[in-house]
Amino acid sequence: MRSGKVLLVFRKDWREISRNWQVLMPIMVVPLLFTVAIPAAVVLMPELVNAPTSSTGFLELMLKNLPSGVQARLAGMTEAQVMTYVMLLYFFAPFFLIIPLMASSVIASDSFAGEKERKTIEALLATPMTDGELFMGKVLVSFVPSMLVTTVSFAIYTATVDLLTYGMFGRLLLPNLNWVLLILGLAPTVALASIGLTVMISARVKGFREAQQISAVLVVPILIMLFAQASGAVIFGPLLEGALILAFAVMDALLFRLGVRLFRREEILSRVG
Amino acid sequence: MSSVEAEDLTKRFGSLTAVDRLTFSVGEGEIFGLLGPNGAGKTTTLRMLGSLIAPTEGSARVGGHDVVKDALRVRETVGILTENPSLYDRLTAQENMNFFAEAYGLADPGERSTRIRELLEFFDLWDRRGDKAGTFSKGMKQKLAIARALVHGPEVLFLDEPTSGLDPRSSKDIRDLMEELSRRERRTILLSTHRLEDAERLCDRVMIIREGASVIIGSPEELQRKIAGTPVLEIRLRGAPGRVADAVRALWGVIEVAVDAPSSRLMVSLEDPEASTPEVVRAVVGAEGEILSVGVVEPSLEEAYLRLVGGEEG
Repeated sequence: MRSGKVLLVFRKDWREISRNWQVLMPIMVVPLLFTVAIPAAVVLMPELVNAPTSSTGFLELMLKNLPSGVQARLAGMTEAQVMTYVMLLYFFAPFFLIIPLMASSVIASDSFAGEKERKTIEALLATPMTDGELFMGKVLVSFVPSMLVTTVSFAIYTATVDLLTYGMFGRLLLPNLNWVLLILGLAPTVALASIGLTVMISARVKGFREAQQISAVLVVPILIMLFAQASGAVIFGPLLEGALILAFAVMDALLFRLGVRLFRREEILSRVG
Repeated sequence: MSSVEAEDLTKRFGSLTAVDRLTFSVGEGEIFGLLGPNGAGKTTTLRMLGSLIAPTEGSARVGGHDVVKDALRVRETVGILTENPSLYDRLTAQENMNFFAEAYGLADPGERSTRIRELLEFFDLWDRRGDKAGTFSKGMKQKLAIARALVHGPEVLFLDEPTSGLDPRSSKDIRDLMEELSRRERRTILLSTHRLEDAERLCDRVMIIREGASVIIGSPEELQRKIAGTPVLEIRLRGAPGRVADAVRALWGVIEVAVDAPSSRLMVSLEDPEASTPEVVRAVVGAEGEILSVGVVEPSLEEAYLRLVGGEEG
């Protein structure tokens, strides 16, 4: 596989995406909501933090299941501090796995299906680039922007959280090892698995919408993780994250081999609408 | 030496046979036309020869490379103009050209930009190089797509309807370019077209395809003679041609005489038009016919084509 050709496909697609506001807007707006509005709501709306609603039920369950090391850190904190700490550092963590999935799903769904819809696919497939180069180029152009958005979102989230909670805790809460592993290890490996599958789907369907509808199913495992963490059934810690990173990395490698093997120019052309 | 060779080339999609045992070869520098109605299998044939899809049966070689085993080399050898211009609307003309030039292996930026400039200037698109392809007219897109097919200087060109959407002037420019590429640069061109005028003017040989199978292969002149018949002698007269027609019919070597009374014309089919024309003229004069003009009407490729494909043309 020639990396120059992979980058060529990447650069071409990136130019197109960067001029398409219909793609850029959802990628940028949703993470902004996550990263600024949610922590602001948690910290600045005391009635939400103190409300004895079902959310506190979730938090109590979560609190009980936190590792003893974390429980020790919570000792001596006020109720408001515990709520804020757990909400911002644990409850919202899985949302940062949804950001790369959402960002990449738009681009990955468009990868081949969009070229079919716009009738540009035949000239692309006629070029002397290998199946692997085309496939990897499309994966890369979905991966880079989605990770860029995730990393920038994390930076904004960190700044917002620290800014809003410094007065309450007298120290910076983020970044910590958990979050660094989450953003730099788990998010990319999860995103790659999702992108690999979505690009494969995109090559096999006729249009962008069909690809996006099918690939939406890929968010389900992340939602399960989110609810598992919210209910306290699973708590993201460095060990669990390390194991998940390893598992997803293996899955990524297998998916890419499968993706290249299943890439058929003929099948892609036969599904041009 | 053959640049393109196909032997029993067949493509089936389920129960449908799109291309049925095509066997033909195209020599270096030859312009070879694929003619046929919509759905005849022309595009599928070009896709197999361009290593975009694999044949179900049979084999083909392009530039000496097997279309299945050496697919990458085949794609390097070929420049292809697809049915649709296949351009990226959000990229400028120059960005489109740059992408494909690099994809086809023009790695040196200097060489690439010189080549792109040459082509865009030839197609009168240089001044619009910074505009997005999406803002171009149909004709401009077609010209840009042809420029893209030529960007790596391919040995073999597959052109699907190259003059479609072009104004007469641009169509002529493309035809002239194809002639120059074939005659002077010895590039081999496979031309799939509905425009019989293009095929007649440009192609050394044409193959008429119907329902995926080859109906006939030959030079346009051969096909015209074989299918549409021999040339016809057209004589325009002053006054009614009735009596004169009888005199011509009596001559040896005359196959048929058709009378077009309103325009006072005789259409004379002859076994050997060149040898018999003086005798026909003498017979007309002898029958006191006043000749206004005498001319030979060649049967057109269109007549030959229509006889073969009948009313299937879409």
